[in-house]
Amino acid sequence: MEEDEFIGEKTFQRYCAEFIKHSQQIGDSWEWRPSKDCSDGYMCKIHFQIKNGSVMSHLGASTHGQTCLPMEEAFELPLDDCEVIETAAASEVIKYEYHVLYSCSYQVPVLYFRASFLDGRPLTLKDIWEGVHECYKMRLLQGPWDTITQQEHPILGQPFFVLHPCKTNEFMTPVLKNSQKINK
Amino acid sequence: MTDDKDVLRDVWFGRIPTCFTLYQDEITEREAEPYYGKDSSVSFNVVSSLPSMMLYTLEWNRILLLLPRVSYLTLVTDKVKKHFQKVMRQEDISEIWFEYEGTPLKWHYPIGLLFDLLASSSALPWNITVHFKSFPEKDLLHCPSKDAIEAHFMSCMKEADALKHKSQVINEMQKKDHKQLWMGLQNDRFDQFWAINRKLMEYPAEENGFRYIPFRIYQTTTERPFIQKLFRPVAADGQLHTLGDLLKEVCPSAIDPEDGEKKNQVMIHGIEPMLETPLQWLSEHLSYPDNFLHISIIPQPTD
Repeated sequence: MEEDEFIGEKTFQRYCAEFIKHSQQIGDSWEWRPSKDCSDGYMCKIHFQIKNGSVMSHLGASTHGQTCLPMEEAFELPLDDCEVIETAAASEVIKYEYHVLYSCSYQVPVLYFRASFLDGRPLTLKDIWEGVHECYKMRLLQGPWDTITQQEHPILGQPFFVLHPCKTNEFMTPVLKNSQKINK
Repeated sequence: MTDDKDVLRDVWFGRIPTCFTLYQDEITEREAEPYYGKDSSVSFNVVSSLPSMMLYTLEWNRILLLLPRVSYLTLVTDKVKKHFQKVMRQEDISEIWFEYEGTPLKWHYPIGLLFDLLASSSALPWNITVHFKSFPEKDLLHCPSKDAIEAHFMSCMKEADALKHKSQVINEMQKKDHKQLWMGLQNDRFDQFWAINRKLMEYPAEENGFRYIPFRIYQTTTERPFIQKLFRPVAADGQLHTLGDLLKEVCPSAIDPEDGEKKNQVMIHGIEPMLETPLQWLSEHLSYPDNFLHISIIPQPTD
């Protein structure tokens, strides 16, 4: 493993601190969650959406900012569409959770995510996919991602979906370079 | 060493006698009345036999089976599933799942690990309850097919090799070698499996071991499912790290004070290796087929 393609755990935690600082500056809601014994932790973002037919609108904190993870964009509409909130029968609130953890085996960050209704009922991957806006579906299908599988979250021990990037270093390098530029 | 090869076989062929009982909800109980009240003498009815697995039905809702420690629940319980599904109503059947004393069992953990961690201090057989309804979505991964088990198994093997060899050995193998590893596990073929797996146990002549040791340490007392960290088998001065060194570094609470009472058992494959055992040796001989050392820390039994 080349040192410049992969990052050590301390470096990961440092980048997370920068990322979260930036997230707070732009009013985005990423936060750091330490594990119970505080030896490590992960970045976490929770995001609610009302699912109403095919129109999606946003609740909670504004999410106007650019995030470094394209998967996040998949669940958001372009800004001009997100003001509209339609009232109609049978709307459901879905809670999306995104966690960014460090994999010491592969020395890269990994994205874990899950979605559930407010009563705790989880969504299947199929349900989640159906909620993705059409314009993002095409992009995701072409994206530099291998596959999505269900796996046990290494810190919480619960089922999450995991994104397996086959070219993490290509994907992460511009993110890390930009982060360093912005914070200088 | 001949002795070392014996260890590989003993690990592979380890078995746990397990009693699977179908979960009884109210409706099924009423229908089952004629079958209850049997005395303790059991008539064994050999339903089927596979080379190393005999299936015994004790009653219509109870089956005894010898489970391979190194395999996975959903891989070895086809006969259990088929047998119980015959006595259930179609509309009641959805994904099978297993539970021990109220704890849903993670099919993606090796059977031996689940037993050591949850049931090793109790009397045999291991009593597992079988469910076909109310799948615990928040606790268990779905297991939609054999392919899912294969994908999980191969993913663990790849991760182990990432730690041992920067993935070089497993990536150099052909697809048919990967298939042979999986088929060896699935069909309980020790020689078939180790013909390929031995390559994953090699290391460069100039080194004294793997780059890092693939291990996971499990305790039921923590929220965290397991501890996994980077740990080298050899110290800077060339000394081999021991099991005790590993625990001191990543799980110090597991080590009992020298003068105090023994509080914990450090268990792999149902045994407690000496803490002085070199970790490199343990990794080569006591790993599970996925090439990980799955280590359980359990309270010392009181009796």
